[in-house]
Amino acid sequence: MEAINARLFGPGLPPAGQTCTWQRDSGLISWAEGRTRLPATAGEVRVAGFDLQGIELAWQDARSGAGAQGRWALQVLAAGEAARVRAAPPAGWHEVFAKLAGGRRARRGRLALGWSALLLFLALPLLLVLGFFLLADDLAGWAASRVSVKQEVALGDASFAAMKPRLALRDDGEAAAVLRELGARLTRGSVYTYRFHLVEDKSINAFAVPGGIVVVHSGLLAATRSPEELAGVLAHEVQHVELRHSLKSIMKQLGLSAVWAMASGDLAGAMTGKAAQHMMELKFSRDAEREADSAGLDALLRAGIDPAGMPAFFATLDKAGGAPPALLSTHPASAARREALAARMQAKGSHPFEPLPYRSWPPAL
Amino acid sequence: MAMDVVDYEIFGNEMQYVEVELDPGEAAIGEAGAMMMMQDGIQMDTIFGDGSAQQGGLFGKLLGAGKRLVTGESLFTTIFHNEGRSKARVAFAALYPGKIIPVDLSTIGGTLICQKDSFLCAARGVSLGIAFNRKLGVGLFGGEGFIMQKLDGDGLAFVHAGGTLAVKDLAPGETLRVDTGCVVAFQPSVDFDIQYVGKLKSALFGGEGLFFATLRGPGRVWLQSLPLSRLANRIVMAAPAAGGSRRDEGSLLGGLGGLLDGDND
Ligand SMILES: [Zn+2]
Repeated sequence: MEAINARLFGPGLPPAGQTCTWQRDSGLISWAEGRTRLPATAGEVRVAGFDLQGIELAWQDARSGAGAQGRWALQVLAAGEAARVRAAPPAGWHEVFAKLAGGRRARRGRLALGWSALLLFLALPLLLVLGFFLLADDLAGWAASRVSVKQEVALGDASFAAMKPRLALRDDGEAAAVLRELGARLTRGSVYTYRFHLVEDKSINAFAVPGGIVVVHSGLLAATRSPEELAGVLAHEVQHVELRHSLKSIMKQLGLSAVWAMASGDLAGAMTGKAAQHMMELKFSRDAEREADSAGLDALLRAGIDPAGMPAFFATLDKAGGAPPALLSTHPASAARREALAARMQAKGSHPFEPLPYRSWPPAL
Repeated sequence: MAMDVVDYEIFGNEMQYVEVELDPGEAAIGEAGAMMMMQDGIQMDTIFGDGSAQQGGLFGKLLGAGKRLVTGESLFTTIFHNEGRSKARVAFAALYPGKIIPVDLSTIGGTLICQKDSFLCAARGVSLGIAFNRKLGVGLFGGEGFIMQKLDGDGLAFVHAGGTLAVKDLAPGETLRVDTGCVVAFQPSVDFDIQYVGKLKSALFGGEGLFFATLRGPGRVWLQSLPLSRLANRIVMAAPAAGGSRRDEGSLLGGLGGLLDGDND
């Protein structure tokens, strides 16, 4: 015989309820002044108590007729006792208890679904950014493949126009003319119309803007010991345009900032300004570097220029010492890259090359 | 710890205070800000937790403190002991117009759920807890109904209702829909939920009382006609500094009232 502490509400009882004892097996409910019995035919069961841990058994008083006044309710609010009642419902009440348990499970499921949906909604921007970081290369490649040459040229021109005020262009001198001549030899037959620019800047650097703009720093020109070395650098840079490395790289940068802007709610990020900002710092992968090397080598051979200038310039950079030049931070050079270049040159066999016709090197600005 | 049996007397009509009589050694807990006066022999003491037996032990105290921190309540309760050799009285005043409700917890099953700011004082031994409503609807729309105060014990507790008090006894299954702010207290046997009433359009474009608390019997509920938040809103709206206009009540008296209302500075 298990006695459960409960509270009974019903006709004739105090409105705030009556503390009582419920013998679960016999169904007898007793208190100081009276007693009643839990009907053997089930009424309703529901969750009760502010913390939703209790249980309420309610039934209609047959004598008082329908309506709230004739209703009885037996509440067990202590969580432990309520759980015991749930585990072993009184005779005749099993079905309604089973239904309640099913409803509770369904409600818990809905609740979990509701909270997860809310969480997902809050985490969506983060997921987007994360996904973009993971797939950035593929996405950038896909996006770049959808950009037409015309659009690429427009993007490159706009970026270059934005950076121009900060560049000390020296396009009228002898060196710029040499640059243009070499460039024209290396880009014959390309779909791009190339423009080569010389900038007075002591750092050893060169970079390629999407759409066919190649910029060489005077510092790099001064570091080269022969026109062939300069040609090697140009051939390499040109391939970054031809292979659309610069475009992909910029798509990646822009894409990330675009997604970031979307996630943080600041969509008004200046796109072209940003593109220009990153143009000089566009980083290429080792794969891209190898590709540019080998395609550059082929271009040199096609143009009839001795490709030995390419590895020679690596050696020149090594000997320069001091801080690594900017060129190497954006174009990662490695022993593997040099070996691959040497192997490719070996495979192409040796050809006799006319030396480039520039007597005094480096040419004057 | 046994409950201290306290005698009390409520004074006033619309701005009430309750005087609690403590035998030597007896004590009451209350909000320090509500204390109005105390006679010789009463010692005021600030304790960590609420001084009830249920919060004995460091862990229980920390847990209680954590809950109070979450709800933004003060970590300390003020306890008023009678250290003298004869009976002494301490009085607690309601902070705004309304009624003080004495509730004998033993007659309602030992627990009362009440609105956070409605508690005034209680016999020592009554534990002050926090109850979170676990219903999603209450969590999302509840505001005032989400975190409630739980008074446990079998002694007397005093809560305060703003404006006019309404006590409703709900039969099993009987429901009553009220503005959430108007709920002062209810027995835990009463089912409390927040329901949205109306069309989505009116929810988006403003309108008051779109969310109702649904109280379902059995049990007793205590309602107030003037929630503090409503009163505060009205006062702020009427304050000239907040852009409200000063409306004179009657021509002559209104003109004098400006001179006589005492708070001119
Ligand atoms: Zn490169």
